Amino acid sequence: MRRCRIESLGVSPPRQRLFGWTSHRHAVEAGKRCLAASRYQPADVRILVNAGVHRDGHVCEPAIACYVQHALDINIDFHGRRTLSFDLLNGGVGMLNAAHLLAAQMLAGEIQVGMVVASEVNTDRRPDPDSTFASSGAAILLDLSPRNGDGFGAFVFDTREEHAGLYTSVVSLKEPRGRLLLRRRAELEDAYLAGASAAVAEALSRDGLRPEDVDLVVPAQISPSFLKRLPAAIGFPTEKVADFTATLPDTLTTSVFLALDRARAAGTLDPGKRALLLACGSGVTVAAATYKF
Amino acid sequence: MPLKIKIESLGIQLPEKVLTTEELMAACRHRPRLDLEKLTGIVERRVAVDEYAADLAIGSARRALSMSRYAAEDLDAIICTSISKHHRQDEFSFEPATAILVRRAIGAKKALVFDVVNACAGLLNGIWVLQGLIRSGAIRCGMVVSGEQNMPLAWTATREVRHSLDRQLAALTLGDCGAAVIVDASPDEEHGFHWLDLVTGARHDDYCYSQPSARGEGGILITKARGLQIVGNANFPAYLKQALDETGWELNEVHHVIPHQVSVRAIRQGIKAVGRFMGCDLPDVFLCHVEKYANTTTASHFLALHDFMLQGRIQPDQNVVLVSGASGIVISHATFTLDDLPARYRAHVNGGA
Repeated sequence: MRRCRIESLGVSPPRQRLFGWTSHRHAVEAGKRCLAASRYQPADVRILVNAGVHRDGHVCEPAIACYVQHALDINIDFHGRRTLSFDLLNGGVGMLNAAHLLAAQMLAGEIQVGMVVASEVNTDRRPDPDSTFASSGAAILLDLSPRNGDGFGAFVFDTREEHAGLYTSVVSLKEPRGRLLLRRRAELEDAYLAGASAAVAEALSRDGLRPEDVDLVVPAQISPSFLKRLPAAIGFPTEKVADFTATLPDTLTTSVFLALDRARAAGTLDPGKRALLLACGSGVTVAAATYKF
Repeated sequence: MPLKIKIESLGIQLPEKVLTTEELMAACRHRPRLDLEKLTGIVERRVAVDEYAADLAIGSARRALSMSRYAAEDLDAIICTSISKHHRQDEFSFEPATAILVRRAIGAKKALVFDVVNACAGLLNGIWVLQGLIRSGAIRCGMVVSGEQNMPLAWTATREVRHSLDRQLAALTLGDCGAAVIVDASPDEEHGFHWLDLVTGARHDDYCYSQPSARGEGGILITKARGLQIVGNANFPAYLKQALDETGWELNEVHHVIPHQVSVRAIRQGIKAVGRFMGCDLPDVFLCHVEKYANTTTASHFLALHDFMLQGRIQPDQNVVLVSGASGIVISHATFTLDDLPARYRAHVNGGA
């Protein structure tokens, strides 16, 4: 059976600059790199989903994906080849949510090519000290794999809404231009680990896989302590869990795909290898997806 | 022939408090000279009091479930498509997703949850997403829900509007409402969605945007209303024609067209644009109730469906077209044939269930 695959990946990693990059610039940079690495033209993209949460100026309308579509020059006029752009918000699991949706649209025969972008930045003039994170961007271009069995397998989303209060991000409208307030409680990593344990077991079960069938787990780079505890929680040896936290901070929605880019660059995910992507986000929702390269 | 989806149930949470356009204009610090009521045709709107956007979403979700054959725990997905995420006073919430709050409130323990945001096209966009998930076999049924507490934008406008050409004037045409739609597969070919299409003309992404105010508290909605209308009317009739052609309908087979309820004037301009494009006189099928409820953004089409079903104007087995324009610019069209939903809905609401 043909599956949805990542045809190309582009990232805009965190940068140390005097003047920080905007969310838009990160998203467009990642999108351009993704398209440059792809065999598809911009006009081939039928659906563009932005899964980033924190955006320049806290704009909530129109969809940020429209701005990215415009900047990437993807069918920006009416009455030609058409593209639909929209935002998907679900915290750190948004990119996998979007990949799941696009895979469904491809299997339903609705589209052939889709793109998911995400970028994160806090552009507040006086950022709340507890609400800082490394800004970045990531983009993936998805199509149907030409070979049966390659690409995404099971998608599992483990949501534990009783923990919804452990991670909140709001924009206070009491101050001019708004101010991002991001609150993560100490118990959050425990909730992530519990969710990861269940989601990974379910994803492996659905695809009839055992931990030894997976070559590398690519998790969100939440923190060194999280990565240290994760292998035991999901039943994998430490060497099979990609840990880049020494050089890659938590970048929220883009984290899994920045880590995937690092893992591919290191040559650990060559064709034929199988990975397990693991994202964690507010909700609390943990997403696991198997993937065969 | 791909599987068709249908509206299995509908829930509307309409706040009780009525605020007239005259009262809203009187609240402006610098009242513009123009007669907004005369210009837009909007006489009044509903305003949420002591409840927030999430409450409107949860209330409408509960109402949709009360008429549905599905229980909350049967729902495979909940997609929240609200633009306004004012879940507390003076706050705009990005995380967790509003759909999580709905899932928690109604007890939909197995539902896949996330938010889709695409300005006023959000709810139709959410249905399109569910359609793909149902057709691919990933899910059996799902809910799309919006809780639109738009009035905080209007209150900012009352503080910041300076004159009759102010770009925040459109914020004074908003109203509050919650809407929820439960969608599943249609058992037959005749009923359900025949065509559901959304397209983004991103060249025109600068006609309408919303963000926190740079001048003080609150959020603002900036709209170049005339430009938005001109671009929209120049482009949407061709997509409407395509929707009818793809469905296999002639104009005289359409019982109702529900446009996005922006203003009476905008709807009339849209009808003229369609007439010009089609080159014929249009039948009297365009429904408008914006004078009572104003622009409820994503909830707009389904509040109209609710209202006209209760009035008895929309009947079972009738053909309906939804036309939507949203900032981005997103143009969307849906054609569908109703099953017995109007009769069930009237019986349910009038029965006080």
